[in-house]
Amino acid sequence: MAEVDIKKLNVWFKDNHVLKDLSFTIKENAVTAIMGPSGCGKTTFIRAIDRMNEIISGSRTTGEIYIDGINIYDENTNVYELRRKVGMVFQKPNPFPKSIFENVAFGPKIHKIANGKEIDKIVEKSLKEAALWEEVKDRLNDSAFSLSGGQQQRLCIARALAVEPEIVLMDEPCSALDPAATAKIEALIRELGEKYTVIIVTHNLQQAARVSDFTAFLYVGKLVEYGDTKNLFENPKSELTEKYITGEFG
Amino acid sequence: MTSRIKEKVFFTILGIPMVACLLVFFWIVFVLSSGIGTLSWNILTTSVLKGGIFEMIIGTIYLLLGAAGIAGPIGILAAVYLVEYAPSGKLTRTIDQAINNLAGVPSIVIGLFGLTFFCKQLGLGISLGAGWLTLTLMILPIVIRGTEEAIKLVPTSFKEAALALGTTKWKAISSMTIPSAAPGIITSVVLGMARVAGETAAILFTSCVLVTRGLPTTPLDPVMALAYNLFVKIVALGEPPEKVFGIALVLFFIVIFFATAAIVLRIYYRRRQPWLR
Amino acid sequence: MLRVRNSKKMLHFFKHFKKEPIEALLFLCAFFSIIVLFLMLFFTAKEGLQAFFTFGIDLIIGQTWKPSEGLFGAFPLIYGSIMVVSGALVIAIPWGVITAIFIAEVLPFSIRDIIKSIIELLASIPSIIYGFIGVLYIAPQVASLFGISFGTVALTASLVLAIMSVPTILGVSGEIISAVPKEYKEAALALGATKWQTIRNVVIPIAKSGILASIMLGFGRAIGETVAVLMVSGTVARIPTPPWNFLSPVYPLTAVIAMQMGEAAVGSREYSALFGLGLILFILTFIVNTLADIIVKREPKIRSGKK
Repeated sequence: MAEVDIKKLNVWFKDNHVLKDLSFTIKENAVTAIMGPSGCGKTTFIRAIDRMNEIISGSRTTGEIYIDGINIYDENTNVYELRRKVGMVFQKPNPFPKSIFENVAFGPKIHKIANGKEIDKIVEKSLKEAALWEEVKDRLNDSAFSLSGGQQQRLCIARALAVEPEIVLMDEPCSALDPAATAKIEALIRELGEKYTVIIVTHNLQQAARVSDFTAFLYVGKLVEYGDTKNLFENPKSELTEKYITGEFG
Repeated sequence: MTSRIKEKVFFTILGIPMVACLLVFFWIVFVLSSGIGTLSWNILTTSVLKGGIFEMIIGTIYLLLGAAGIAGPIGILAAVYLVEYAPSGKLTRTIDQAINNLAGVPSIVIGLFGLTFFCKQLGLGISLGAGWLTLTLMILPIVIRGTEEAIKLVPTSFKEAALALGTTKWKAISSMTIPSAAPGIITSVVLGMARVAGETAAILFTSCVLVTRGLPTTPLDPVMALAYNLFVKIVALGEPPEKVFGIALVLFFIVIFFATAAIVLRIYYRRRQPWLR
Repeated sequence: MLRVRNSKKMLHFFKHFKKEPIEALLFLCAFFSIIVLFLMLFFTAKEGLQAFFTFGIDLIIGQTWKPSEGLFGAFPLIYGSIMVVSGALVIAIPWGVITAIFIAEVLPFSIRDIIKSIIELLASIPSIIYGFIGVLYIAPQVASLFGISFGTVALTASLVLAIMSVPTILGVSGEIISAVPKEYKEAALALGATKWQTIRNVVIPIAKSGILASIMLGFGRAIGETVAVLMVSGTVARIPTPPWNFLSPVYPLTAVIAMQMGEAAVGSREYSALFGLGLILFILTFIVNTLADIIVKREPKIRSGKK
């Protein structure tokens, strides 16, 4: 559906040069993991794909990112359309303080994708895609906060899927969850990878190995290595990558 | 693209009320400054008995300082209790609510209370002291809230480091927390003074008279004040506002001085305290 | 049984302070506010209830207020207060809330501090100065604009009161809106919502009760405002004809107390009548403030203690 082509991406926060000349291409319809030690710019990187860094004052971005052949940083780009096409799931589940139904319906309503009965259908479809439907179908009007942490995160995924994105970004989606919830979400991620281009940030090496088809290793804002996950973990090309994988630093 | 432009236009219109606020402020300053011609160093320093307004200015300052002097310590200690010692429970919540309620009492009602309690019950009559006590009630919530905020901003690690060395809780707080919070505390006291400098209703029946012979020598003497004088002259004596412009202007300056001081202090201290934000 | 339990509690209470005796002093300072509030209620009631015993319900529903003739019907005064405050709030609520939203969400960070400082200065201007400006500049404008002889009418009082109420409403609303956790805003933006859509569909619904509380506090402040309304409202103790005629002079409660207490002999009927009015004011603002407090405290979504 959508290939993400990154060309010479640089991001600064005030004087801090966070991402340095990143260039690589993320394959469509696959799960790509972005890994690296804390502070290497993983979060900044995926936020650059839906231009969420712009919200932070003092941020500056140069370079290009092509999605479906169009540079999203071009001044004519409709950033709201972009953000619809590129969904995001955050580290800490952040459902709106509204009902489960209203959370999922929020996106479609805002973008006027559907009305009335149509919205009901979309909500059901999205909740099913996020493997949450069975658990909430009888209590759609309950507050989102009545759900457990893992359920809330799946709700956030459903919310993102409801606007029919092509790319789904996930910033350490399981770091705030217990192992059982994590397992459920990891299974979900693998499923989503067949239909969407999923890019997931993780600092958990094993998770990257379990879940992703491709992996990019970032270190202090630079891309060190990128490739097929199995190959990268078994035969890393760079010494730095090898050191990270074997746990010499983290 | 047009949706972006539409949004920009919309937000510009949304900003009109804010611009209106600014315009009102500048208009007030402009209008008041037109009366600056009525002022002169002479008028400020000459006694009222000879056509000046000296005693009014000093009286206002006496009232300010006294009220701050009483409300300050009580407010600071109360805030320390609320932040550092108070157990969470019904009593603490009630105290908290009482402070909010006290802050919301109309100043005329506080003046009435001052009249019936300080002046009558405690026998102070119309006096500087009664004014102090009445105005204290108005400054108190401001100082308590401001001190609470200031203390909450001080990193608990300071206090914990002191405790780890073996001092008592109070010693840790008084030697570390309060001095660190001092800037915020001072700012809130200054804010309190700005609040009561122009206060009229509270001092109306409790401490002021139109003219005194010289300055008050004891807290039992009545006092002259800018706000009171301005009020009585316009409302009761029907003097045309133009004649009393000077008094209004001096009062305005004093209040704005304290209010600006509070703002400046806040900015200054925020820079000097690296642990803030 | 109850006596024993209570005295045990009290003993525990006092023993608690033995650990650090200074805490007793601190506690007293904090408790002072409750004492003060209680004293206020007691003494205002002491003088004020006297009026209700003397005049009964007539104090509130009586239509004529002429102390010189011994008539103490405060209804026109209450009406005057409500009229002026309503007029003020109609202007001040949209003004204050919209400005709060604008400053918290739209205004660029760089000038936010300056603007907030200016508004803080606006808020610190004492009511007598507002009254002064009202008499000197606003009243004459109203007079010439509407072709009436004196500009000291309900409209002028409402205008002045509106300007004075905006900072209160603005301040509290602004705090509440800023306290809306940014995770919700980020989630909305990540879904492709525009800034206004985020404000309208996420921020405002969350801040709703806080904004309501700010309006109540604004109401409390407005109804207790004395000096400014006294100077511009015309001080005529009559309900305007027709009752919605804002170009008529009125006499709000607070103004009456301020004006006539000076001449009331202590202990006279007028004295207690005025205290009765004061009592009404006290109770009214007490209720409004307590309600506002409850509304804010009930809000779990807003982090309390936000600096």
